[in-house]
Amino acid sequence: MRASAGGGASLFRAFSIGSTWLWLGAFALLPTLALLLVSLLDRGETDFFIPVLTVKNYQELFSPVFLTVLWDSVRLAILSTLVCLLIGYPFAYRIARASAKWRPWLLLLVIIPFWTNSLIRTYALILIIGAQGMLNKALLGLGLIAAPLEMMYTDFAVFIGLSYTLLPFMVLPLYASIEKLDTRLLDAAKDLGAGSLRSFWHITLPLTLPGIVAGCMLVFLPSLGMFYVPEILGGAKNLLLGTFIKNQFLVANNWPLGAAASSVMTILLVIMAALYRLSSLRVAGRDHKGLLSGGPEELNGRSPRRPSGAGPSMPQAARKAGGL
Amino acid sequence: MPRLLKRLYLWLVYAFFYVPLLVVFIYSFNSNKYTTNWGEFSLRWYETLLGNSALLDAALNSLMVAVCAATLATVLGTLTALSLKRYRFSGRQAMYGGIFLLTVSPDIVMGISLLIMFIALKMELGFLTLLIAHTSLCAPFVAVTVLARLAEFDEHLIEAARDLGASEARAFRHVLLPLTFPAVAAGWLLSFTLSMDDVLISTFTTGPAFEVLPVKIYSMVKLGVKPDVNALSAVMFLLTLTLVLLAQAINQTRRK
Amino acid sequence: MKHSRVATFALGLVLVFALAGTCLAAQKDKGQVVVYNWSEYIPQDVLDDFTKETGIKVVYSTFESNEAMYAKVKLLRGKSYDLVVPSGYFVDLLRRDKLIQKIDKSRLSNAMHLDPKLMNLEFDPDNTYSIPYMWGVLGLAYNSKYVPKGSLTRWEQLLKPEYKGKLILTDDLRDAFGLALRAKGHSVNSKDPAQIKEGFDFLTRLKNSVRVFDVTAIKQALISEEVWIGPIWNGDYLVAREENENLEYIFPEEGAIPWVDSFTIPVGAENVDNAYAFINYMLRPEIAVRCIKEYKYSSPNLKAVEMLPAEMQNNPILVPGPKELKNAEFITGIGEALDLYEKYWEQVKTAQ
Repeated sequence: MRASAGGGASLFRAFSIGSTWLWLGAFALLPTLALLLVSLLDRGETDFFIPVLTVKNYQELFSPVFLTVLWDSVRLAILSTLVCLLIGYPFAYRIARASAKWRPWLLLLVIIPFWTNSLIRTYALILIIGAQGMLNKALLGLGLIAAPLEMMYTDFAVFIGLSYTLLPFMVLPLYASIEKLDTRLLDAAKDLGAGSLRSFWHITLPLTLPGIVAGCMLVFLPSLGMFYVPEILGGAKNLLLGTFIKNQFLVANNWPLGAAASSVMTILLVIMAALYRLSSLRVAGRDHKGLLSGGPEELNGRSPRRPSGAGPSMPQAARKAGGL
Repeated sequence: MPRLLKRLYLWLVYAFFYVPLLVVFIYSFNSNKYTTNWGEFSLRWYETLLGNSALLDAALNSLMVAVCAATLATVLGTLTALSLKRYRFSGRQAMYGGIFLLTVSPDIVMGISLLIMFIALKMELGFLTLLIAHTSLCAPFVAVTVLARLAEFDEHLIEAARDLGASEARAFRHVLLPLTFPAVAAGWLLSFTLSMDDVLISTFTTGPAFEVLPVKIYSMVKLGVKPDVNALSAVMFLLTLTLVLLAQAINQTRRK
Repeated sequence: MKHSRVATFALGLVLVFALAGTCLAAQKDKGQVVVYNWSEYIPQDVLDDFTKETGIKVVYSTFESNEAMYAKVKLLRGKSYDLVVPSGYFVDLLRRDKLIQKIDKSRLSNAMHLDPKLMNLEFDPDNTYSIPYMWGVLGLAYNSKYVPKGSLTRWEQLLKPEYKGKLILTDDLRDAFGLALRAKGHSVNSKDPAQIKEGFDFLTRLKNSVRVFDVTAIKQALISEEVWIGPIWNGDYLVAREENENLEYIFPEEGAIPWVDSFTIPVGAENVDNAYAFINYMLRPEIAVRCIKEYKYSSPNLKAVEMLPAEMQNNPILVPGPKELKNAEFITGIGEALDLYEKYWEQVKTAQ
């Protein structure tokens, strides 16, 4: 059919493919290359970077200062991801097993909070966990504590903030992969005498692995970069990666160093993407031609990083994607 | 009993999502300025909001960028999804990979790489740079949403249309577009919210002549958000909620 | 049906771009002045009245630290803003980078109200590039509910073990080093590596007591009693006092740290005339009074200070006199030595 396509068809085809390439080239590939290039340049006296090739920015990343920053950030991001996974998995499971009538509404309820600015929601947390916040007032009122708990300006606060903001990004991909799960497999396992824990471990968990990896990616990576949550809730006692990068660009005027730190994040991203690819390959067992081939197809609606805008059709889209 | 427990768990997590929103809503009626202490019930912040032209301007700017970026991203993302679904061409796998990486790439990295490029090209930061950045942020999500819909699409329909003499563009307009319309609309809405809520990319890619709401709020949050911001959030939230529920209800009755 | 849908979509597209077009056109309009200032520094109604009077729209953009301001102005190569309000020695930095232009004082009829004591300072001899807007000092606020009145009089006492975890410390490197150097009896502008090291040691020890590092949220943290003590600008303290009456203020004996924030006009300003009109408007005594009343900072405008109610004029926190300013020393540019400060500061921030 396509071989016999007329002039109009090939024009449309060329336009569609061409515009996508143009976009990917100009606004994704080019900036990324610029980032990598700047990370290899030197900082100038008055210019942000001068054309002198050097690896000293990467060397600086091995300084104790940056390694502390990196370690603190990664530790916090891993913890937040784990908490999101632990809370999100049973939650997504419950939604996926709810009756078909309720599912779209339950999903919609996950998405609705996103219609409020994430900064406002972060700020709302201060009103709750602050020294004079609602939680402390309630606990003091009930006589459970004698003095206000110090929750603000701690790692705990950052951790709550990150989990709160990012939990839906964990829930949606998990939901899609759990809903897709063939329950007959579980029934069969039960018939064969497997306990629920056993069948969870051997069937549910492996089959929903792509959802887990996708969810973890969508929580872990952004939590490294979200500078505003630690800045607002954390009291800046520990410098975290997002703030560090932002400061190099918007405060310290050290673009090459900031670019090098961002490149480290890009490398983390590629590693995680490869992991995701591997996990979905194992589950799908389909014929895949190359790394990441069909990536988005598998991602269809399953891991909308930000489900926020999903709007009315989002639950349906997610449900459909789940049922593919 | 376990059933009850499972339900309880579900609602507990929902409470975690919704209590902070409720707090914002309640505090928009608090008469106190800085404190988290409750003064008395007051509508003064809704009045202040009406007089706060800087905040309203920023909200308008956000709205404008969101509408433009969502529209551009929808066009671009839909074209991408169609290319990936319908055509075989060299580099198709690479295009898949690119889209995939874009959907998961951290905002801060995206914002910074674009900033570097804009500065290297000596572009002035403002509406245009922000529009480019937001379009680039949203388009992959549209592509992914539309692809999901297209996965169920029967290629024979297009072939039938073509056999009947429709041009490719006509077939696209009359067969493909109506079929994918729900996904396209969902993609637009998703983009709209992504753009409205984005702090990280906007921080790096907009200039002073074009302040947007999230960046404005960011500079206010640490000082203690004035309750007029709470009021603005409450108004915007209720508006969108009404729209979404309405759309959802219409959608459901239509299906029946 | 399908036709109309496509048509609606197309129409929507056209509308969107028409809207965008008009909004962009509106921005090119010359009737505006783009001000880049500290957050919470000029009351909204003062801005509104300026617009009412002159028809010039004020686009008001804010920053939280001098460093962020400096980076942004540099990033934009002195374009986009018509007016920037840096503190003290940042005027000097901006001037050296050729990012701000000379100010023609003959165009500012209200400049005659300014206090000569706050003019002609080291960062800008003869005020060639800057006109003071407000001034103030960094002193110490504490909550008398937890810290007995009169028990805290010196910077150096911040190290007391009982304040552990109850302190908020400014995230501004020069301010933090300034108070540390003062506590050790050195100049806030010391370039002597040995003295700077002493300041660094003081800050490292102090970090154990610090609960939060911040510049902008100090007021908030003190009001909500997250912390007991914090170095804070006098104006911020007076505003905070209105919401929490347990808060007290002192000018530490080793010397409080004063500052002056000044209007400057970037080289790339597109609306220079409007910028002058705006500065002259802000220098009017009755306008300055409104700013003082709202944000409680000290004003360099002598006429405005005279117009204040007696109890405000006599409040030494609002209008610090020689007694309060004893040992006080302005922060100035320190050139190369800044690298050493920065290196130490990074170590303070990442120390466990």
